[in-house]
Amino acid sequence: MFKNYIKIALRNLWKNRTFTALNVVGLTAAFGVAILLAMYAVFQLSFDGFHDNGDSIYQVYSEDSTPYGLEANISKSEPFAAALRDEVSGVEKITRYNNSSVLLTNKDKQLGMGVAYVDPDFFEMFSFPIINGDKENPITSESSVAMTEMASKRMFGDENPIGQTITILRDGEEVPFTVSAIVKDFPITSSIGFDVVLNFKSQNQHAYERTIGRWDMENHEVYMQLSKNVEVYQFEKSTVDFTALHHKSEIDNAKRDGIQPNAEGNYKQIKLLEFGDIRFANFNQGAVTVNRTMPYLILGIAILILFIACVNFINMSVAKSSQRLREIGMRKTLGANKKQLFFQFWGESVLVFLISISLGIVLAVFLKPSFQKLFSTKASLSVLLSPSLLLVIILSVVVITLIAGGYPAMLMSRLGTLQSLKGKLDSNGKNYLRNSLMVVQFSIAILLISGTLVLWDQVEFMRTKDLGFNKNQVIAFPLNGKRNDQQAIELLRNNLSDKTHIISVTASNNILGLGKDGSRSTSVLGFEHKGRGVETHMVVVDADYIETLDLNIIEGRSFRKNLATDSLSVIINESMAKQLSEEDILTSKIELDEGSYNVVGVIKDFNFQELDQNIAPMTLFALPNWNLRNAYVKVAPQNLEQAYSDVKAVWNIIEPNAEFQGSFLNENIDRTLRSERTMITMIGSGSVLAIILSCIGLFAMSLLIVAQRRKEIGVRKIVGASVSAITVLLTKDFLKLVVIAFLIATPIAWWAMSKWLQNYAYRIDLNIWVFLAAGGIAVLIAMMTIAVKTIKAATSNPVESLRTE
Amino acid sequence: MINTLLSLNEATRTVNSGSNKVTLLNNINLDVKEGEFISLMGPSGSGKSTLLNCIGMLDSFTDGGYTFLGEPVHSMKEKNRSKLYKEYIGFVFQAYHLIDELNVYENIETPLLYKNVKSSERKAMVADMLDRFNIVGKKDLFPVQLSGGQQQLVGVARALIGKPKLILADEPTGNLNSKQSEEIMELFAELNKEGVTIIQATHSEKNASYGSRVINLLDGKIVSE
Repeated sequence: MFKNYIKIALRNLWKNRTFTALNVVGLTAAFGVAILLAMYAVFQLSFDGFHDNGDSIYQVYSEDSTPYGLEANISKSEPFAAALRDEVSGVEKITRYNNSSVLLTNKDKQLGMGVAYVDPDFFEMFSFPIINGDKENPITSESSVAMTEMASKRMFGDENPIGQTITILRDGEEVPFTVSAIVKDFPITSSIGFDVVLNFKSQNQHAYERTIGRWDMENHEVYMQLSKNVEVYQFEKSTVDFTALHHKSEIDNAKRDGIQPNAEGNYKQIKLLEFGDIRFANFNQGAVTVNRTMPYLILGIAILILFIACVNFINMSVAKSSQRLREIGMRKTLGANKKQLFFQFWGESVLVFLISISLGIVLAVFLKPSFQKLFSTKASLSVLLSPSLLLVIILSVVVITLIAGGYPAMLMSRLGTLQSLKGKLDSNGKNYLRNSLMVVQFSIAILLISGTLVLWDQVEFMRTKDLGFNKNQVIAFPLNGKRNDQQAIELLRNNLSDKTHIISVTASNNILGLGKDGSRSTSVLGFEHKGRGVETHMVVVDADYIETLDLNIIEGRSFRKNLATDSLSVIINESMAKQLSEEDILTSKIELDEGSYNVVGVIKDFNFQELDQNIAPMTLFALPNWNLRNAYVKVAPQNLEQAYSDVKAVWNIIEPNAEFQGSFLNENIDRTLRSERTMITMIGSGSVLAIILSCIGLFAMSLLIVAQRRKEIGVRKIVGASVSAITVLLTKDFLKLVVIAFLIATPIAWWAMSKWLQNYAYRIDLNIWVFLAAGGIAVLIAMMTIAVKTIKAATSNPVESLRTE
Repeated sequence: MINTLLSLNEATRTVNSGSNKVTLLNNINLDVKEGEFISLMGPSGSGKSTLLNCIGMLDSFTDGGYTFLGEPVHSMKEKNRSKLYKEYIGFVFQAYHLIDELNVYENIETPLLYKNVKSSERKAMVADMLDRFNIVGKKDLFPVQLSGGQQQLVGVARALIGKPKLILADEPTGNLNSKQSEEIMELFAELNKEGVTIIQATHSEKNASYGSRVINLLDGKIVSE
């Protein structure tokens, strides 16, 4: 019996090879892409899932009331963690965390490595198992260092690393450390990443010693493990007194300035954010929101694409079933019952699905490297292989085949014996299903197309927007060598001064956009001005900063060439000026603990942060011997490439051991748009696939409809219908479906896209043309798809089509 | 004593065509004994095919009684009815109705599959049938590769493979030339001699002459016997 089914299934598939091929191609593409998209989404969602205590680890942050509303603040001060543990119950374990990069030396080998500075609890909270060395107290001593397997391999090769001494460059000195432990390499799905782990106290003077006992200097993160039986809200509630005690002056200032407290009447509230949520949390816009939309959206696209391919399958199977009526009827007279017929037809579907899924897997494996490169992800297919996930995948495949294959099979097995023997199919009602499925298909396609267009529009807008500084001619790179920053800049200036296409050199402690090294920092300064609290971003710059970036001075002057004479001068941006609201801004002063600074100039606002934020108040300082971090070099516009390689060559001379990670500022801006670009590519390729698949379905339908209406076409031609009249007749029905799909999809797309655009302080205005374009693309492609068959049918000789009847 | 195979008592079939009620079969009374060879005759639309289909349980009477081997078919559930006809009835059609995707061997084998006959037994039975009909050499051919007469031969073989008590043939020679027709009819006569009950619908007096009894239908009524 079974063999007979397989045999007839294969023969049938072969007989209808066009349709089989269309189905297999469509389903294979859909399954392949769905696998890749699911892989990406699951990879994103699986981040940080490997920590055994993950459920009880939280990041400690505070929600502060500010003149601009609530602000989330994850930076904590040096005494905070210990005080929280001692004074508030419910803290099982707690660690401070800071990360940075250091230069490690072993004999004559020097390597730059990522470092995590933590407290000893770190290894007990997080699942970073130690496989070798001191398992109990790997970094309790301030002179020990724990390394990952990989880092140890890089440093020591096959030598036993335990007990070896290495030196780390700190505050210009080589400080010796003993390797105490080797940490097992952790999965790439870890958002905490490091090569070496050091005690928190082993940081440089600026990051640690300077901050000891200071509650007002916040420069690191704090993670804690909550005791069992303590609820998050309980814990948060019980910190109120703690906060009132330790942040008294801050709270008093807020009260004095008339700032709105939160609903409970607190000006500063300690909050816990579940560790697994950190990756999806947004700290930039008021209260912290956790948002997993991106991975779920991608999963959604995968499901939509599968849906489209399955609709094709259902529609084709149902339409083709009319050609198998005789077989169905005959089998029934020969004694087949419904169940047997159902299993026969369903089996054929399952066969097609099995073939497509296998090919889809092959396709996914084949496309994986390009996929990884395109989306710069390390996601691999192995993330889909966990037992529970595998079960979900297998179940969903079974459900898909059951519905997509089972529905047509059910229809066929239900047909009456005599009716099917006569080859008649009562066709009322059935087309509703087909038509609505096709409408849904095209709605999805139009939705994705318009989504892509809007996304692309917004990214182009952000990329090409005038940000208020010169982004095309300025190369920025991190000062990542051994020399101190001032020395490095001095050498840089001297070495580049004779190059004709170098215009100016400067430095600052912040980076515009996102540099090649991927690191970023912001400092926010709070101080009192005329009896109220004021906050400003603090950027420390070198000489020529304003000139190098072509910032516009609207009042006052720039810094002098001889920066030392300006060490007590500041230049502020418009927003800051507005905040200070002085009659004559140039006579105002900024009073800090360290001294009093004169405002000597006001620059026009420029977007020093990303475009999802409004321009914040900002103050430029010219402090001497500050940690400047990034160099900016402005070059002549004629020969950018030559200039770039000159700068690189000079940097390699100054710091032979450091990698040159320079890039033009417009590339830096581009880098900040990476997640948007990923989304465009995903949704874009999703929409291309969706429209292709929908058109495969449409093409198949047009084939079948034209075949079914052959006689009608012949008769119409004989009574005098023209070719164009018949083409219109055949095309009309399909176009109607696409137009309905457009009417359904556009409001949804409009709503979704305007919602998405809310994320950006600077955004495009939605306009109807984008949606009309999306609809137009769909209609045009649909028309071209069916044109081939319909025109052929319309021009064929009517005598031929009637003869076959 | 010859057993009664089936009997119809005031059997009627009506259908609704639009708002009209159309009577296809009108108060048919008929007893069929085992071993009979009955020819149903009458013009197109007289109800021959409908009567055959109803007897074959592909269709049902809307009124009246139908007893098959002593069992009341009219009050039977669908499932039991299909069990009954699977066991005792074979069909032969004017248009042969072979399954295009299956070859000769597989077409003949199909009814056995639905009866869950074991593989080895199936092989033996199909081989016997091929042998008997002299179509062993054609067993791997597909229906399109056969002439009409050959296809109908396969159709008859398929109807016989389940060892039915009753064969229902709806114009079995309608698509065949006279020589092929003769062969098929002789085959029927032979089968009848072996004890198979046959009811055929036909237009041809000549075909009817092979049978033992002729029933004339007109407008859904038996007009003469």
